[in-house]
Amino acid sequence: MTLASAVVAPEGVQALQVLTILLGAPLVSGAIAHVEARLQGRRGPRILQPYYDIAKLFQKETLVTDQASWVFLAAPVVAFACYLIVPLLIPVLTTYPLPLGYMGDILGGGFVLALASFSVALAGAESGAPYAQLGSSRSMTFGALVEPTILFVVFAVGLITSTDLPYALASTVRSSSEIVRPGHVLAAVAFFLVVLVDTGRIPVETHTGTLEFGMIDEARTLEHSGPALALLKWGSAIKQLVLYTILINVFVAPFGLSSSGTPLSVAGAIGALLGKAVLLGLVFAVIDNLFSKLRLFKITEFLAAAFGIAVLAVVVFYVGPA
Amino acid sequence: MSAHVLSTTAGVEDVVAVIVLLSEFAMLRAPLLRSQVRLYAFQSLAVSALAVVVAATRHVGDIYVLAGLSFLLKAVIVPLVIMRLLRDVDVDLVGSSKLGVASSTLVALAVSIFGFFSVGSLRVRGAALPTTTLAVASAVVLVGFVLIVLRSDVVSQAMGFFSLENGVSVASLAIAAGLPLVVELTFLFDLLVAVVAFGIIMRVHHGRSKTLSTDELDRLRG
Repeated sequence: MTLASAVVAPEGVQALQVLTILLGAPLVSGAIAHVEARLQGRRGPRILQPYYDIAKLFQKETLVTDQASWVFLAAPVVAFACYLIVPLLIPVLTTYPLPLGYMGDILGGGFVLALASFSVALAGAESGAPYAQLGSSRSMTFGALVEPTILFVVFAVGLITSTDLPYALASTVRSSSEIVRPGHVLAAVAFFLVVLVDTGRIPVETHTGTLEFGMIDEARTLEHSGPALALLKWGSAIKQLVLYTILINVFVAPFGLSSSGTPLSVAGAIGALLGKAVLLGLVFAVIDNLFSKLRLFKITEFLAAAFGIAVLAVVVFYVGPA
Repeated sequence: MSAHVLSTTAGVEDVVAVIVLLSEFAMLRAPLLRSQVRLYAFQSLAVSALAVVVAATRHVGDIYVLAGLSFLLKAVIVPLVIMRLLRDVDVDLVGSSKLGVASSTLVALAVSIFGFFSVGSLRVRGAALPTTTLAVASAVVLVGFVLIVLRSDVVSQAMGFFSLENGVSVASLAIAAGLPLVVELTFLFDLLVAVVAFGIIMRVHHGRSKTLSTDELDRLRG
């Protein structure tokens, strides 16, 4: 058997999915930051800068406030583990489902992500610092408002595919016999807005600022330091890439994935995923530069708009033409 | 033509129609007159792109001409003319809506759902007839009406009317791509007349009452 016709074992591909997300996430973040700086007329950090940041933070000492309990230190690890579970459930590299792929559906993945953000918020509240608590409170409040949108997007996916598995929706997009329906497009747009909120981008949050009053997700980690902060930063980069992967490989463009499992096609799929994620990141960077941040109390309006689109996506299936 | 090409076209039509619908929603929420005009330009760009796709996939050369003309007119000239008028009148914000932002969005949602429902209950079937695109296009037309009804300034009403025409364009491209060029051109000239008419209304109205709001007109008696 030659190398070209050999097939990577499904378990191996699955491990590669996690590794791709784990090691590729800082690269995608760095590329976005670099492009964003260029768009603003700055030279910007190196594309590899997030790797250096994380490596530096791992060498620093960890400081813990007197009030904090073990939760404060356990939370970053729990969150990091949660972010690494999700790539097992979604189509990262392959068109065919992998052994653990049916362990959880889209809702299951959502729950795991919610557990991660819950534990980070808990650690922020645990620190006793006012701004971290403010961030925790806000991120939970807006998280609760995003949840209905996610649910309706999942309903729309269920109506398109009659299942709630991400792999099934991706194959619907790929197959040429099925046309892309309006409900699908609306659900994808609603999910795009959800990604905008969950990755803390403009118009909801500035991710580069240092002003605590506008912070939501960023403020939660203000009290962490050293390896714990490194895990949180790395984790949020991973979360970003996971959400991008869901948007790209499930809703919008599930192309370039490996369908045979040969080493060459899997390597191509890794490159394709990172390339597509950087392209999507460019869109977010452009949005960052085009719009201004919404006032905190206007964010609910933004979320309501996303919810309206998601509801329309579901209703279209019931009342619209088949 | 293979079924594959047809279904791809239908997919692109659906995507563009939804983009047009969403920009219509965005126009309903836009707080500035300028952003409304920009959204209209974007919407027209999407419609012109749809025309190019339809022309390429169905091999109808006439539609390229239509796409070029509609891009020139709707995405460049009309927005430029309206922007110029806006610069002269020095009014930035849209006139107060008769409903709040949330309620008007809800009304628009309900109305567009009705649009989908009405086309769905027509029960028209046909291999060549993209009913989903037709449904989205009718929703666009209805939301355009909502924009005209709820907003009480001349520019919003003009923009509502023009974007309503965009909805009709999407529908005609989806259903009758082979419609003779002359008929399509007549639509465009209709639009041109409407632009001139709305431009004159804006000028005269603003010159007389120093405002773009149409609420003033209620007090006119014969």
